Formats: sequence, C-alpha cells, structure tokens
Amino acid sequence: MRIQGSRLLPGSREQVWDFLTDPARLAKCLPGCEALEPAGPDRYKVSVKFGVAAITGKYAGSVELAEKKQPESLRMRVEGKGIPGFMKGEGKLELRVKGAQTELRYDGEAQVGGVIASVGQRMIESVAKKIIHEFFECAAAQLQAEGKAG
Amino acid sequence: MATATRYIGKAMKRKEDPRLIQGLAHYVDDLQFAGMLYAAVIRSPHAHARIRSVDASKARTASGVVAVLTEEDVRGAIGMIPCAAQIPGMKAALRPVLAAEKVRFVGEPVAILVATDRYLARDAADLVEVDYDPLPAVVDPEKAIEKSSPLLYDQFKDNIAYRWELEGGDVKKAFKQADRVVKQRMVNQRLIPVAMEPRGVVADYKPGEKQLTVWSSTQIPHLLRTQIAGMLGVPEFSVRVITPEVGGAFGSKLNVYAEEALVAYLAMKLNKPVKWIESRRENFQSTIHGRDQINYFELAVKSDGSLLGLRARILADIGAYYQLLTPLIPTMTGLMICGCYKIPAVQIEILGVLTNKMATDAYRGAGRPEATYFIERAMDVVAAELKKDPVEIRRKNFPQPKEFPYTTPTGLTYDSADYQKSLDTVLKNSQYIKLRKEQAALRKKGRYMGIGLSTYVEICAMGPSSAMPAGGWESATVRIEPSGKVNVLTGSSPHGQGQETTFCQIAADLLGVSPEDVLVIHGDTAIVPYGIGTFGSRATAVGGSALYRALEKLREKLAKIAGHQLGVDPGKLEFLDHKIFVKSEPRKSMAFGEAVGAAYVAKTLPPGMEPGLDATAFFEPSNFTFPFGAHLCVVEVDPDTGQVTLQKYFAVDDCGNVINPLLVEGQVHGGIVQSVGQALLEEAVYDEQGQLVTGELTDYALPRATDLPPLQMARTVTPSPVNPMGVKGVGEAGTIGATPAIVNAVVDALAPFGVRHVDLPMKRERIWQILRKSRRAK
Amino acid sequence: MIPAPFEYHAAKSLDEALRLLERHGDEAKVLAGGHSLLPLMKLRLASPRFLVDIGRLRGLSYIRLEGEHVLIGGLTSHAEIEASDLLRGRCPLLPETAAEIGDVQVRNRGTIGGSLAHADPAADYPASILALDAEMVATSSAGKRAIPAAEFFVDLLTTALRHGEILTEVRIPVLGPRTGTAYAKLHQPASGFAVVGVAARVTMGKGGKIESAALGITGLGAKAYRAAAVEKALRGKKTSPKVLADAVRNVAQGVDPLSDIHASAEYRREMAAVFARRALERAIARAQGKRA
Repeated sequence: MRIQGSRLLPGSREQVWDFLTDPARLAKCLPGCEALEPAGPDRYKVSVKFGVAAITGKYAGSVELAEKKQPESLRMRVEGKGIPGFMKGEGKLELRVKGAQTELRYDGEAQVGGVIASVGQRMIESVAKKIIHEFFECAAAQLQAEGKAG
Repeated sequence: MATATRYIGKAMKRKEDPRLIQGLAHYVDDLQFAGMLYAAVIRSPHAHARIRSVDASKARTASGVVAVLTEEDVRGAIGMIPCAAQIPGMKAALRPVLAAEKVRFVGEPVAILVATDRYLARDAADLVEVDYDPLPAVVDPEKAIEKSSPLLYDQFKDNIAYRWELEGGDVKKAFKQADRVVKQRMVNQRLIPVAMEPRGVVADYKPGEKQLTVWSSTQIPHLLRTQIAGMLGVPEFSVRVITPEVGGAFGSKLNVYAEEALVAYLAMKLNKPVKWIESRRENFQSTIHGRDQINYFELAVKSDGSLLGLRARILADIGAYYQLLTPLIPTMTGLMICGCYKIPAVQIEILGVLTNKMATDAYRGAGRPEATYFIERAMDVVAAELKKDPVEIRRKNFPQPKEFPYTTPTGLTYDSADYQKSLDTVLKNSQYIKLRKEQAALRKKGRYMGIGLSTYVEICAMGPSSAMPAGGWESATVRIEPSGKVNVLTGSSPHGQGQETTFCQIAADLLGVSPEDVLVIHGDTAIVPYGIGTFGSRATAVGGSALYRALEKLREKLAKIAGHQLGVDPGKLEFLDHKIFVKSEPRKSMAFGEAVGAAYVAKTLPPGMEPGLDATAFFEPSNFTFPFGAHLCVVEVDPDTGQVTLQKYFAVDDCGNVINPLLVEGQVHGGIVQSVGQALLEEAVYDEQGQLVTGELTDYALPRATDLPPLQMARTVTPSPVNPMGVKGVGEAGTIGATPAIVNAVVDALAPFGVRHVDLPMKRERIWQILRKSRRAK
Repeated sequence: MIPAPFEYHAAKSLDEALRLLERHGDEAKVLAGGHSLLPLMKLRLASPRFLVDIGRLRGLSYIRLEGEHVLIGGLTSHAEIEASDLLRGRCPLLPETAAEIGDVQVRNRGTIGGSLAHADPAADYPASILALDAEMVATSSAGKRAIPAAEFFVDLLTTALRHGEILTEVRIPVLGPRTGTAYAKLHQPASGFAVVGVAARVTMGKGGKIESAALGITGLGAKAYRAAAVEKALRGKKTSPKVLADAVRNVAQGVDPLSDIHASAEYRREMAAVFARRALERAIARAQGKRA
C-alpha cells in the first residue's frame, strides 16, 4: 500500500525537524502510543494501543530513523505486531520551507499482514489515512502551542 | 442371466437426504468422547520468513493447556507430508508437518497445542511467540521464474518445480502449412474449493491394544490410513481410519494433511482423544486450492477452420509445497489439451512453478477444466479471427462417431462419443438461430447479449492403475445376511455424491430385492476392504463396477443353490421381486430369502459348495472413460457497470448409461454453479506480499441462487465399453463444460467493442475497464 | 473463530444497560443484533472486556407514527423495517433500503440502531438516513439528545454517539407531497455490502421541475455523506436525461474514494454516478406518480 501526501505545519524546518526527532514529543502524537523508549541510536521501542471504534489492538514494535539530512529529509521505518496481525512501513519524509511554515511531504510503502490483511482489506487505507491525519493534527497543535510559548 | 432394471435408471430420491436435512447426520465435529482435548494450530502470518525462534513457554503454562508441540518436538517423529505424484526431475518441495526453519505461505502451521476445551486452546494460541525474519515473497508465477525472483528454497537454483513436455505429430510441419497462426495468453485463476464442512480430525489411542483410531473428513480413508501409519512409523494394522459424514470436498479432501498426522500423534502421545476442527479462515489458507494456471497457446489453422497443430505453454502455480497429487494436476491439462477436436500435431510444455502460496491440487475437475477452458476459448478465438460461426469451427474438427476408440496425439484413447449429436441437441434445445437473430436486434438497441458455446470432453473413472500414482482399481464386498438383508461394502468414499442410493439401486436390481433391503457401508478401514476412494468421477464407473462384479459372484452362487433345489439350469434363472425363477416357467421359483437361508443353514447346498454369502471383487478398469457434452449460455452485459447477467443456460451431457438421472442432474447442476463462480466471481487473491486478502467468505464471492437462470438440462447416451455397466462418470462434468461457455458468451456480447478475450474471473470492473478503453479508443 | 474472553451482561432494562455502560466506560460495548460486533470479536479484531446485551429490551423495538414523524426503535430489525406497512406508506425509502441489506438471516437479526451506531462505510442505512434528514435519539443516564443525520456520521466507523450513549430511536419525517424516493445499490458480490449505495429523495415542482433533491451516498468514502453538489445542480432544473447525467458527475466531489479488490477508487467513483442517476430516475418517476 502506497502512502503519500503532504501537510503544512506551523514553525520553521528546524522546529519541525526537532519535533520529528524528539522521542518524547513524537510519543505524545503517535495515536494510541503507550510507551516509546530508546533502543539504540535513532531507534525506539514502541507499544501502541490503537483502535477505530470497536476494532482495537495492542501492537509492539519499533520506530527507526535513518538517512537523516537535517533539516531536509529523513527516512522512517515503522514495524509493529500484535494479535490482529502485523504492519511494516518505510517512507521518506521531506521538509520544505513554505514561508513561516514547513511543508512535510511523505511518501512510503506499508505492508499489513495477518487477520487485518485478510479481512480488513477494504478499510486499511482509510485507517492509515486516519492515523496520519490524527498524528498531524496533534503535531500541528503542539508546534502551534510551542510557537506561541516560544 | 438377464437383469431387470426396476431401479437402475430411475430417479430415486437419495437415501442419504432424510438424515442430512433433519440434522441427524454425524460429522467429525459431532463426535464427543470423555476426556477429549482440543487442538489449535499456530500459523504463519508471513508468506515467506525465516523462523528465528518459537517460544511456547507462556502458552504451556496457560489455563487448560496440556501440551504444545513445535517443530523440534516432532522432528524425526512424524514424516513429511506425502506426495504420491512423481514427475521425472521434479524438485523435492516437501513440507514437514510443522514448519522447520522457514515458512513459505500464509497459514503454514508452526506449532500446535491442545487444551481441555477449544476456547482455552484458542486463547493459548495467541500466547505462542514466534520470532520471524520476513523475507521477500513471490506470488506471481511469471515473476517467480525470472532470475531476479526471491527463491523459495535455498537449496534450489530456481523456483521451477518441474518441467513436463509432450509432443505428438509433426508440429513444425503443421505450423509451416498453416494459413494462419492464432495466439492468446489466458489466465485460469486460483480458486478455493469451499466445501461446506471444513476439515476436521479426531484421534483416539488405546495404548493397551496399541490401536489408533482417526476420524477424518476425507475422501480417501484407506490411503490416509496407509500414509498416517507411514508418517508415524506404526504398523498399518494399528491404525483405523473412519470417515463419518463428509460435508463436501470437491477434491480438497483427496489429500493427506499435516493436521491429520499431528492430531493422531498427539492422541498417541497423550493417551487422550484429541479433536481439531478447521475454521473457515484456516480452510481458506491451508486446505488446497485449485486451478491457477497461465496458459499460452498458438494454433496453426487453415482458412477453412481446420486445425493443424497446437503449441501450448502452461505455467502451473504449484504453491510453496506439494500436497498429495499437486504436480500431477497440470499434466491432466496437458493430456486433455486437444479437447474433442482432431489436432494432428501438438507440443506442450508445462512448468510447475513454486510460489509463496498454499499448494494447488485436485479441485473438482482437476486439470480438465483448465484444458477445456484452454481449447474452448481457443476455438472461439479462432472463429473470431476467421470470422466464422463458433458452431462451424467446432463441427469441422470433431472426430466422427465411427472413429472411436479415437487416439489423441497426447496418447489418450477416447472410448466412445458422438460430439455432433450433443452439439446438435444443444443447438436445437436453445433455438440457436433464433438466439442469434435476437442478439442482432438487441445490439441495434445498444444492448449487449452474448451467446457462448462449449463442446467438451473430459477424462473420468480414474483410472487404469498403470496411469495412476497409487492404484486405480476399486473394491467392493457384498455380504448377504441370513435374514436376506444385503450389506454393500465399498472402497469408494462418497461425500455428497449419493452412492448410498445408486449402489443400492445396482444391488437391488442385480439381486431382485428392494432398495430398503440394502445397506451401503463405506469409510471405515476396519470394516471395508482396502479401496482407493472417491475422486476423479470414479465412484460409479470403477467402484460401481467392482460392486457389479461382486454382485455377479453372489448371483451366480444363489442361482446355483436355487438351480440345485429347483432342478433347473442356473443360467436360466432370473432375480426379481425377492424371487429366483425361470422366466419361461414362473412356477419354477424360489424365494430369495429361502435361497439365502440355504446358504447359511448349509444342508441343501450343491455338493462342494462353500456355505455363506460373501463376495469381494476388485475392479481394474481397462481405460479411462471420456464423458462429453455441449453447453450453451446466453448472457447480457450491462455496459454501465460491466455486470454480467446469465439469461439462459442449456446443457447436454453424455455420461454413458445412467444409474439415477436425478443424481446426474444434481451433479451437473452443482458443477455449472461452480463454473459460474469461476467465470464471474471467485478468485483467491494474494497481495504482492503473499497475504491472502480473500481470507473469508466476506471477500471470496461464491455464486448464489439468484445469480442463476433456470438450467435446462438434457442428455445423450453413449455407453462406455470399458466397464460392465457402460457408465462414464459425471461428478465433474459441470465444472469442466460450463466455464468456457459462460466466458465465450461474455466475449461474444462484447464483440462489437472488438473484444477477443477476457480473463477469468470476469468481474464487472474488469469488463467495465475493457468497455471504457474501447469507447475511448473510438 | 472464537472471541477473546469477555464478561457478558444481559440488561433487563434500559436504565440497567446505561448504568453498566457508565460503569465500564470504553471497555464496554453494546450488543444489539450482533451482526457487526460479533464477527469482529470472533476474528479478535475487537476484544471488548464487557458486553452489554440490549437484545432483550423489546421495548426498544417499534415502528409508530407520531405527528409528522415515523419513530423507529433502535432495536427494530431490518426484517421488521422491510415488512412494515406504516413505513411502506409513509417512508418507503427505508423498507426499500432494508430489503437490500445482507441476506435473510442478517435482516432477521441485525438492528437499525446497531447498524447506524457501527457506521460501517459500506452499510446501507446511512445513505437513506442522510437523504431523509432523519434524527438519531441518543439516550444516556444524563437523558436524551437528538442528533441530526448530517452530524451523526463523523468518520470511518465513528459516529457522534458518546461513550455511555445508546442509540434508542430513529425519527424519520414522513414523505412529503410530490416526493419520491429510491435506493440503488451495487452489491459487493461476497458480503452483500454496498460497493456504492445511493438513496435519493426528490420533490417535484411544476412543469417537470425538480424542486429539491437529497442524495445520500454510502460505500464510496470512509463515511456516508450527502452529495451536495448534485443536489445543488438539480435544484430548479427541469428533469431530463442530460440534466441528470450532468448533475451526477459531481457525486464524488470532495470525497476520497475507498479502494479494495472488489472495486478500485476509480470504478467506485464512476459507479456512484451510475447509481446516483438510477436512484434519481426512479425517485423522480415515483414523485411523478409513476411506477418505478
């Protein structure tokens, strides 16, 4: 499944970059994130309880950042597995200056396996979009708040 | 001795049905024993991965869990899943009962556990932690044979399981002489058999007697018994296999599965009865699939439509491992590729290709639907290229009735047929000429009606042992009790076909008793002599013939007893209405029961005759049988949506002599419905990573009653010379003849758009896309 | 196909059900007909710790006329809606929609409240509920509130219902004069869900002019919606095949279509237009007193 899009975030590229590479703030905005701990350089162990309405599941996995070109681009690898199945994704994030704001472009591939893949097929894309949307809403709000506070 | 046919040929209602429709039948899951344990299988969610570790420690201590087995626990204790088919040079893609080191398809068993109830077993299954290292998967056979493809087996240099080639006649010459060469690539998609009852196994072990009993929903109780004994390393006499009621199979239970050996092993290890019942999800993932071929043909033809030669290339998707007959199935396609046409020269290449999917194997038709689809589609493409009527092209290339037995360039000998007659009958029944006029009128109004034809021949009554991987004969025992009741024991293993009825009809007629006096017993290796089982439309033609022979033996004996007492030549005696009598002198008569009694009381037997009434026969057919027929389908395509609606359906089938026309009709009917599924709806879809995305019935579309028009069925009768009753077999005819008729009808409907071929399944979006492209091009 | 362990409560009254929901918070789910929730639980995609079964509260199953509204209890089954003479007379769109849901077994067990609260993106009712401007009545221990259809469907499987609320009633305005309705659906061949489903309500004015049209669309996007662009394009226009064909081109405006093995996003979008046209044609014919 291809996941791509872009989103305008408040703040400079540096501010957005800091946000994306700061595990504490990242954890706050990952939907359902219950824990995010460092597990090596640019690698974090995460546990997520995620759900859409009745469909909920716990997933354990990792987030890894690579090919960091501060503050322009980086690659993000996400992996998780739980009772309903597993997911694996990898994509490139690019940050572009848009006036006082920063445009975040993302383009990646995600794979889903297990029960979710075999019965949830028709909803997976919508769920993925929903997760991304929630993440960015939260990120935008945080950056906005930080901007005001700063 | 002449046989009156009071029951043979009559549309008797099925003896099986009252218990089935009242819910009184007993399936594997209906078995309950004290102390029974329940198994749950832990399966791979990955299509291709290395197994780093399996940690069952949490599961072992979970509530109710009695045992967990991983591959380490069964290594050396349970043999590999057997494959009976051998093709020279084929790679050994054999599967252990639990995955060792690597998993190669989604649903492959990695561990099995048992608990005191099935709920606790299921809960504990989630606690088994398997650490996988995922590997790239390959699911498309065309990609799998490329050099750059991921390899399923590290020890093999490519994913080609085997190459099978056959050449007959002078192909080069044929193509040189051709006025035209017609080519097409066609997909015959992967299907899931979807028997109403999934698989299930119960095993129980008596350590004192060293007796293992396995109840399994299978088509082959005796072969399963032999294989389980082999896999577990116990003497065959220590294993008894019983098949209770089997709720359909369509070939999917003509196999030996990992779970059968695992459950048996667990019962022996734990000295407890163990039950495993497959869920629908598991059934979709890890019971065999069918079809899955990509076919390329080149036909050398004359301008007048006569066929000169055929080149066929078949990519057969094997899946990740062999099951019992996996490699053999595509070769059936090869052997039957000429269909009912005289093609002087053929060249066939089949590549069996390994992919990260469940194994393919025998699914109703098993290689013949693919062959028929291949040649029947090819005939319509030729007709379109030559701008001739599909009827004309077919008629031109049929062998004539007097040419039978007819030997094909693939080396088969068709027993008997009259292809012209079945074609003429279907054209007459459907009022073909009128249909064509109607089609022309509708096209003018912008409505797209299509007429599709398929004239098929198939290969049945599997088969002479020389051509079968594990024996092609069948057994029958007839045992008449002192009270005159008749027990028929058959090595066939009916699972929906209705042999409890048809075999009754045969026995009742041959012995002159009523069907109520006959009991047909099957599916218990401790009771029934060794048999091969039910598949390949063989039960009536081979098993019924064995029964016929066994009945003849008892008739002969009873005639001798009666003749001795009546003082007449036993050869002049007939059996009817519970009497044994001389037709010309009806007074010279003895009650059937009296003759039976004499055999047991043994005071008045002819000198030297053994007492008792028990006869066994093993019937070895001299050849396959080749049923045939002609199907015609009328469809309409909605150009807005691409939706195909079946309007009319006409079938003419010839399965030789018929024991019970009601059951024949039922078999053809069900087969056509499954063809509708293949033509329009069904497809096992794996995504690029090898996830089975049609994982449940919510996404795998089966045909429903409302998808079908009334089916108008007729028969011609051309008896087979290869068995005593002249029967051919009909279990698979519908799935073989109907799919191409439906596809040809849709392609015919789309002809105004320049369409020459549509791949299976003809889902509405696929058709809509074709129409849209064509409209844009205009 | 065995769900994870859960605790089951069969509520004897609505009050008891509401109390139980309040006590267990978001770990509890309401069980009505069970035709959405139980399959998810059997696949362990949903594992609620508590189930509050309201299936025995027969008082929540009714269809009755009150002034200018038909009131439908949340626990009313699809089969009851399909067979209701009152609805057939006063609000024929709903029985027509109910008849297209799943199969007989599903229609006998599934309930309108359960279906709406689950908000499956391919469910049938949402299209009709939107086209009819219905109201959903949510009851909690704090009392009742009415939620207009336009605000009810929030996102994929998400409605405006809050934790602790049960959808107890659906209120449908009765069919007005010169008004016709229709539901046209392309079935997903395996599940019977809507690949696209279009519910149309059209009121005709004088001289073949469309006074107003309401179009509810399900199956296309993550949630059901009103095709406002089509409605606007039709308002005041004299009906003709061309007017309809032009108007329905905008049926997917602003919607990100779903895509699966049964229908790509592209096909879904096109089918939404085809079925919108079909629904409108039938609704208009019915508004004009023709049989369609």
